[in-house]
Amino acid sequence: MRIVKSARPIAGVALLALGLTACGGQATTSGSVGDQPVRMELREPQKLLYPGDSLETEGSEVMAAIFAPLVNYTDEGKVVDNVAESIKTSDSRVWTIRIKPGYTWHNGEPLIAQNYVDSWNYNANRDNAQGANGSFIRVEGWSDLNPPEGQPLKTKKMRGLRVIDDRTFQVTLTKPFSQFKTMLGYGVFFPVPKAALGPDGKITDEYVKKPIGQGYFKFDKPYNKGVDQVIELSRYDRFPGKKPKFDKLQFKIYTDSEVAFNDLRAGDLDIHDSLSPAAIAGAKAEFGERYLDQVDAGVGYIGFPLQFNNTYENVKVREAISLAIDRRTISETVFSGTRAPADDFINPLIDGYRANACTVCVYDPARARAQYVENNGPKVLELGYNSDDAHKEWIEAVANNLRANLGVKVKVRSFEKFATMFNDLGDRRYGGMFRAGWAMDYPSAENYLSPIFSTVAIENGSNFSGWSNKEFDSLLVKGDTAPSQRESLKYYQQADDILIKELPYIPVYFYRTNAAFSQNIRGLKINMLNQIEWAEIEKVS
Amino acid sequence: MGRYVVRRLIQAIPVVLGATLLIHAVVFALPGSPAVARAGADGLPPGAAALLREHYRLGEPFLVQYGHYLAGLFRGDLGVTFAGVPVADLMAGRFQVTVNLVVTALVVEAVAGVGLGLYGALRYGGAQDALVLGVTLVLISVPALVTGFVLQLLLGVRLRQAGVGLFPVAGIAEGWRGYLLPGFVLAASSIAYLARLTRAGLLEALRAGYIRTAVAKGLSRRRVVGLHALRNMLIPLITYLGADLGTLMGGTVITETIFNLPGVGRQLADSIHLREQPVIVGTVTFLVLVYILANLVVDLLYAVLDPRIRHE
Repeated sequence: MRIVKSARPIAGVALLALGLTACGGQATTSGSVGDQPVRMELREPQKLLYPGDSLETEGSEVMAAIFAPLVNYTDEGKVVDNVAESIKTSDSRVWTIRIKPGYTWHNGEPLIAQNYVDSWNYNANRDNAQGANGSFIRVEGWSDLNPPEGQPLKTKKMRGLRVIDDRTFQVTLTKPFSQFKTMLGYGVFFPVPKAALGPDGKITDEYVKKPIGQGYFKFDKPYNKGVDQVIELSRYDRFPGKKPKFDKLQFKIYTDSEVAFNDLRAGDLDIHDSLSPAAIAGAKAEFGERYLDQVDAGVGYIGFPLQFNNTYENVKVREAISLAIDRRTISETVFSGTRAPADDFINPLIDGYRANACTVCVYDPARARAQYVENNGPKVLELGYNSDDAHKEWIEAVANNLRANLGVKVKVRSFEKFATMFNDLGDRRYGGMFRAGWAMDYPSAENYLSPIFSTVAIENGSNFSGWSNKEFDSLLVKGDTAPSQRESLKYYQQADDILIKELPYIPVYFYRTNAAFSQNIRGLKINMLNQIEWAEIEKVS
Repeated sequence: MGRYVVRRLIQAIPVVLGATLLIHAVVFALPGSPAVARAGADGLPPGAAALLREHYRLGEPFLVQYGHYLAGLFRGDLGVTFAGVPVADLMAGRFQVTVNLVVTALVVEAVAGVGLGLYGALRYGGAQDALVLGVTLVLISVPALVTGFVLQLLLGVRLRQAGVGLFPVAGIAEGWRGYLLPGFVLAASSIAYLARLTRAGLLEALRAGYIRTAVAKGLSRRRVVGLHALRNMLIPLITYLGADLGTLMGGTVITETIFNLPGVGRQLADSIHLREQPVIVGTVTFLVLVYILANLVVDLLYAVLDPRIRHE
């Protein structure tokens, strides 16, 4: 009985509910309420929030909003002091860093030199398994914190770090390194307050949910990773530098870039800085002035497994492969213009980039074919990519280029993750070419060379090719120890020339940053670290 | 009936154990190393990687890993994610969202499905009936992925741009309204199945002898359909709804991703991506539990609906 009485009206209601949408409630989005936050798109940070481990794009976006770095970079890539009052050295090996007065932590403690030393020691300690570990390899005493496998640590401090007074500390490197100051804008060099460390010397569970910084914004409440869908911040009014012009910042967590884009269009999101190629096609027309398209500091490559496989030994073959790739069509068609053809190993944003430096990065199918045949290139090529990101399309396009222009068979292999592909290379389960990419840590030509191509980087870095060249290594050392930036750059460019001659990787494209923002704000600026300049943004009232 | 329930619950134990064992085995057999997945693209120094392997018991044989997991399970410890968050906390935080979504979908399904079915059956052969059949055909043929994105664009983005903020595009910031669209999308194909089941069931019931008797003794049409026909066709409907709970739970993986709902389904998708064994096993075990309980409730409802069925 119960069921029936309502049955017919309900059938009506069900249909009605579908029709009702046309005349439903009030808009909740448009119009500007005074304390409505600026809302920024984020994907879920992979790690808990701590500067030594939040290195991937999402976590570091949050870190950049709550921490202030020692140095900043201008649009031209010049290094300027920020929290640092001065960073001095006479030999590029011993560096004295003095911080400006007036900085305080969000809990009120003053910022002191010891905070930097504590943080760096923690990050470099093997037992803390921080992603930042390798960034401290140049500091004297790093090897004490990273003894060979199985050996316990004898100390928790690097002897290269010394506090001189509350505002000054000294860093001693194992070897002179001219780019050390440039490095210091990278998030791994943020300090941590006393409150972050528990009695056992470990970062506390509270801290990684509600990190205390010394920058623009402070956490309003703890963020429970995996559960919470927003990270809520408010402006820290005791920040001594240029402050943001709005009170509240909110990171909204999305899994899908398209969904975030829909939210942006509906006015429920203010900043989206990782538009998908599909969204970009229409974004320009829909957002007009509120659409941003600028060069990004990243580079995409095809790499050769030189350490693992002698199929690609002959550099003439590698050149032929490079000449057979139609970078322009890939950038414009496959990536809908969200990439630019690469013509150097160093990115155009960086001091030291030379347009058209890579003479074999042009498209010349005839020469490619002739050179490939002449040098008896392999009949079958393998090309691997990681399928956890959008690489399939462009890798297939490259494979088609090679098939058509070199007349070879190309087997495309997909791997679950980049690291799986690299592991299979090491275990000899895979011996083909692979895609690789580089996102800059700090704007120096050196950052495009040593972490990816130096011999040291095979063990401690990202040299996935396993390529090793003594002349290249020694030019890097010369660059690292040169007395001036200008001379350093000269050596780095010579090292770059060796890469172009030897081609352990083929540069394919430079990334671009594509962002859009809502009508609620103006003045969106994204810096070369791909972070939002929060002090530039204004809310539209 | 109490003994029946206890017996069914005891029977559930080997099922749950079997499910965890199976899922463990599947995750274990996946290619690639979880230590690598944990470390990210930049890699870790060899020493740190060894520590991680030890911490998450990644180097140990399958049965040892499974044994440790079970031991933890009995202590109420579901393990921790690679980022160091306890799986139990994760589940507790996400559970509510999925329950809200599935309940919304189930209500939408029951109301719209039964409603459409009755509407069609009572106007059997007419234009309205054909309309019902047409609508259900569309609902069955269009995949949730398409319905989801289209409705999100039309009812979410476009309506909001027009100043009508009834349906949020994504997320749960606006409370229950955030569940309406995803609930409908999740339920869409089930609505159609249920509608057709209801329609066919009612048509068959209306042709039965007892209905002729009821009409002959002068009962109103409302009583004939409501009391006699409907009650007798309820068992297949309830069975379908109960079994469909499992489908809906599985469907949350897609729906929660489209609508950015922080529920268990999206969690499952994310953790498979990251190969987070404890989360995958925990989530699937939870889904198995829900399914077992739902089936138990359905079986108990049989007895309520049909006096001939007794659970001893």
